[in-house]
Amino acid sequence: MARLRRAISQIEAEAGPEGERPARRLPFARAFDSALSGGLADDALHEIVPAQPADGAVAMGFALALAARFISRRPASALVIGEGFAAEESGALYGPGLVAHGLPLSRLVFVRAPDAALAFWAIEEALKCGAPAVVVGEIWSLKGYSLAASRRLLLAARKGKVPALLILASAYGQAERLSSAAETRFEIAAAPSATIPAAAGLDLPGPFACGARLIKARLARAGPEAPFQAFDPGRVIHLEWRSQDMTFKDMTFGGMCVDDQAISLPLAAASGDRSRAAARRR
Amino acid sequence: MSLGLSLPDARARFPALIVVEAEPLEEARLLRRLCDWCSRYTPLAALDGRDGLMLDISGVAHLFEGEAALIEDCRARLSAQGISVVIGAASNPRAASALARFSRVRTAPEPLSDKAFVKLFHDLSLAALGLDEKIVADMARAGLRRIGDIALRPRAPITARFGAVPMARLDALKGLERSSIAPRFRPPDFCAERQFASPIQTVEAIEVQLRKLADDLVVLLERQAKGARRIELSLYRVDGAMRRIRIGASRPLNEARAIVRLIAERLASPSEDAIDAGYGVDLMRLACLTAEPLAPSEAELERAHEAERARSLAELLDRLSARLGARAVTRRELIDAHLPEQAEAAAPATLGHDAIGFTRRSARRVSSPQSPSNGRPMVGEDQGGGSRWPTQQGSSGTFDNLTSVHDPPPLPAPTRGGGGANVIDAAARQARLRSESRHGEELASWIHEGEASGTPARPLRLFARPEPIEALAEVPDGPPLRFRWRRVVHDVAAIEGPERIAAPWWRHVGAPTRDYFRAEDSEGRRFWLYREGLWGRETMRPKWFVHGLFG
Repeated sequence: MARLRRAISQIEAEAGPEGERPARRLPFARAFDSALSGGLADDALHEIVPAQPADGAVAMGFALALAARFISRRPASALVIGEGFAAEESGALYGPGLVAHGLPLSRLVFVRAPDAALAFWAIEEALKCGAPAVVVGEIWSLKGYSLAASRRLLLAARKGKVPALLILASAYGQAERLSSAAETRFEIAAAPSATIPAAAGLDLPGPFACGARLIKARLARAGPEAPFQAFDPGRVIHLEWRSQDMTFKDMTFGGMCVDDQAISLPLAAASGDRSRAAARRR
Repeated sequence: MSLGLSLPDARARFPALIVVEAEPLEEARLLRRLCDWCSRYTPLAALDGRDGLMLDISGVAHLFEGEAALIEDCRARLSAQGISVVIGAASNPRAASALARFSRVRTAPEPLSDKAFVKLFHDLSLAALGLDEKIVADMARAGLRRIGDIALRPRAPITARFGAVPMARLDALKGLERSSIAPRFRPPDFCAERQFASPIQTVEAIEVQLRKLADDLVVLLERQAKGARRIELSLYRVDGAMRRIRIGASRPLNEARAIVRLIAERLASPSEDAIDAGYGVDLMRLACLTAEPLAPSEAELERAHEAERARSLAELLDRLSARLGARAVTRRELIDAHLPEQAEAAAPATLGHDAIGFTRRSARRVSSPQSPSNGRPMVGEDQGGGSRWPTQQGSSGTFDNLTSVHDPPPLPAPTRGGGGANVIDAAARQARLRSESRHGEELASWIHEGEASGTPARPLRLFARPEPIEALAEVPDGPPLRFRWRRVVHDVAAIEGPERIAAPWWRHVGAPTRDYFRAEDSEGRRFWLYREGLWGRETMRPKWFVHGLFG
């Protein structure tokens, strides 16, 4: 009996909802994964801030793309929690558009909160319960958002082992000044898409694209992972979202040499005995 | 002594000559083996004629500390195997081949100036262009022997007399013409490799390294949300031998342990030889030949936990609904309606998945008619007229819980009368649920189809009330060139449309037709604009609106 119990607890530790499994990381773009020590942690708070007032929709698109990746990892629903004013200001999320962006509509639950305080409450509840695959929050009013509030969200995310993507729509341009407990912060700016040549007249717009800047990446928590690696917060990475493949493509240099394909093999053959961490740094 | 010399002549010159009969088949096999071995440098390795190899080293030279070091490394390793080679390097295959076979200077500088080109190539024989012997002989008869002889002469007479090939080859040599090589193997989608300073010899060490390689490969796969269907392990031995082990998986794999286990199974099978490390392996490569998107996790244990999670999710939704109101916590579904604001419906999430049904299904087909105004391809399927509208029917009952997400109608109010189309009778819904979930997928695929490139056809965000803009268009029924929205002027840099959407005429008349455009401004923001009213038919002053944002 004792042996069985032990076996069960061992299994739960590996795959269970309450188990002490280490954070799984979501690698999504080579340019960022090294600084994030392998990818976005799936039990932390990630902030997404638009670069300019009009970039709110792009920031949402980036957050939803990440959410699509998180959703595809677990057969669970996701929550999209928005402050009511944000929907009025920049339009409500639109089902057909979400489907085109790569999100399964049947697995999304939309929550509309009348003000920021209730939105934070809803996000925290959702994170604590541990059921959603990811929680996307869109906050307009920054009044209630402080170090303490973000710490609460972070702890809730750790407790429930659910990633939280928080879009601070009105904090445009303040990405470097904000102080919060979030693990990562991205600043997202609009970027021209890869246009498709048309038969006549102007080109046709291409798929979703954005310029992403990693402003903050907290020290990775203790573990066998690589130590924190220096990153350049000034570097804008031009990402393109391929909703059919559910992948980001790095277009910083026109998508030529920084792709994840095998042709360029950067540093692959540099040394014989590299640690596991070195692989994640690639 | 030169190629093509007859045997008696050669013997006369060198009495001590050792004669060995030629074995073309064996030579070809050796060349293929060398080509495989050379794939340690680049995945794009090809055979070049009967006696050469062509490697595409663009983008890989820096891994070996530069081209010169790469060439030196290759030469040293091959001579250790008892093979002497002549290596040429240049920026295109034709030039590299000419340098290797005909020149003293074997590496072309990069970038190659015109002067350097003259110096390098003009003195080479015309055979360096890879021309037929007959053409070379004909040209020699005309006094043309070196590349410089034809490069400095007008093209037309040479083309008229000797055909187009010499000049085309000259262009290829200059890099003016795009030339490619045909690699022996398709480059893999993903690959991880390790090189060892001192070759590893034991099977155990190879297994340890294989595990590390699998870890590396899984990281690469995971970043792209892919799994491997076909995997190849290549072992490059010091003595030039190479071993490939291929495995296939019935579902996309992205677990290192599973990959290692499959390879181990393969090695244990009787048809496969055991690994013979020989003098040692100095390079291992694990490549994923075919990658496919990952299927969602189906592990039983995972599913058991998901059931538990589903329960706690239901509790969470109840809690949120209690505090925020049932209408604030919703799920949405697609509706087969043409007006964008009616294309989705929301129902309280506490009712579960089945709260929403679809309106009567209709056949949709995507066609790409040309727009009459500017020849731009249409995005959608409706070209005015209304002949292909679905046979939508308003239903008898209404379903109280169902609310249209964007219920306030846009300013011109074309949609209000159609409200009944979104709601259907609860009993009828139950009967149709099964077939319609499939229908939802069809709708989703239609939205994805937008255009060939994966460009979304519908915006991420939709304004409940379309916001009026001032737009400037070349012609009254043409696409906008510039528009002012929220007091900011946007210059259109890319645009697609129109997608013409008319109001359901069989229910009410008078609502103007809309022409939708997907526009991207010069800063990269993407908008969904529409022009209301057909110019000249419905109105003389069409109004413009922005209806949504693509992000």
